Amino acid sequence: MKIEKNLNEKNLVVALEGRLDTTTAPQLEEELKNSLAGVTDLIIDLSKLEYISSAGLRVLLSAFKTMRNKGKMKVTNANELVKEVFEVTGFSDFLPIE
Amino acid sequence: MIELKHLRKQYENATPLKDVNAVINDGDVISVIGPSGTGKSTLIRCINMLERPTGGQILLDGVDITAPKYDLTLARRRMGMVFQSFNLFGHLTVIENLMLAPMDILKKSKQEAYDTGMALLRRVGLAGREFQYPEQLSGGQKQRVAIARTLAMDPDVVLLDEPTSALDPTMVGEVQAVIRDLAQSGKTMMIVTHEMNFARAICNRVFYMDEGGIYEDGTPEQIFDHPKKELTRRFIKKLKVLELNVESRDYDFIGAGAEIDRYCMQNDIPPRTKYRIRLAFEELGQQMLLPLLGKTPIHVTLEYAPTEEQVTVTVAYGGERFDPAEGDNELSYMVLKRAVDDLAFSFDPEREAGNVVRVLIREKA
Repeated sequence: MKIEKNLNEKNLVVALEGRLDTTTAPQLEEELKNSLAGVTDLIIDLSKLEYISSAGLRVLLSAFKTMRNKGKMKVTNANELVKEVFEVTGFSDFLPIE
Repeated sequence: MIELKHLRKQYENATPLKDVNAVINDGDVISVIGPSGTGKSTLIRCINMLERPTGGQILLDGVDITAPKYDLTLARRRMGMVFQSFNLFGHLTVIENLMLAPMDILKKSKQEAYDTGMALLRRVGLAGREFQYPEQLSGGQKQRVAIARTLAMDPDVVLLDEPTSALDPTMVGEVQAVIRDLAQSGKTMMIVTHEMNFARAICNRVFYMDEGGIYEDGTPEQIFDHPKKELTRRFIKKLKVLELNVESRDYDFIGAGAEIDRYCMQNDIPPRTKYRIRLAFEELGQQMLLPLLGKTPIHVTLEYAPTEEQVTVTVAYGGERFDPAEGDNELSYMVLKRAVDDLAFSFDPEREAGNVVRVLIREKA
């Protein structure tokens, strides 16, 4: 998986490319752990993400919990199949998905 | 009656028949089916000794026709063979093809051989073609002549080796109609065929061949509707199977993922279905069952049934009873459960891999 970060003052955009699964989720977890300090607006851009599994959801959930206390987070541009996973698991009920 | 006892045929590089045992009763019409290379043709070619078996015996009404001093013409007179590629004599007319063996071997008079030949040509719908040469006939007509020629010897047993597989599809029907008629005549028949519906329609018995022998023997209903054994089931349902064996935590999950992708591509499985297969594999193999790795291997079998447009993922593992629904990885279980159309767990303590999770994914565009 490729992770691209774009920080603009307190706004961070993290663009993911490829698969966010059990193998690659730790990589994103590590990136986010080191990048969220001072960030109040987090956007996860999934336009190039092909696949997400529970392992990926878990990392996003953990980021969501962190951001809840100090700002906001949303997920954008998920493809239809990825969006379906957010929907069937109820993630779309609390995580803004655009 | 034909009895096959421990029949074996071995070539230098292959052993298509390892140990074949069967009793073929008078009047049986047997369809011989199975994947390519499982010895179907070899079996019927051995039965009339076109191929000499490497071991075992063939008893024709109690007489061992594989015995060294046995006069094979006696057996061949009683067993006719129809080949895939007709094997008519090109320099003889149709009727001459039919008259040759009855006159030479059965010592019939010319008139008698002619009359029988003409009657048979009428039976296969080719009266009026008697003075033509094989090259003037279509493939379907040639095969009907070949069948008539076999019947001219009035054999008790007719062996047919893929009689329609060399034919243009438009001609399959006319040959099948003739074979269908023959099947009702009371003669013992064995037919090697890939045409399942046809096989089913004409026979009273099916030999499913695999693993060097008759793997399953039953009525058409048993074999086609309720096959008992695994390989028969896979063949009948045209299942495309991928097996993955997750043996330890060091298992190459990335490689396995690529293998699943390739399998999906080869079988034209749509992207949405592929996504769900990958989810099922990952959530079970890499998430919920991961704690078991090291204690038991996990066998994953993907079966795609094109005719039913569905994929079954079967995950089997050993150890104590462990239902993923009762594990603590709730998110993973939820993703799995919601992604698939059916999810069932069963446990059989008698079996080595007694825990079985079966997941059904129906194809969606």
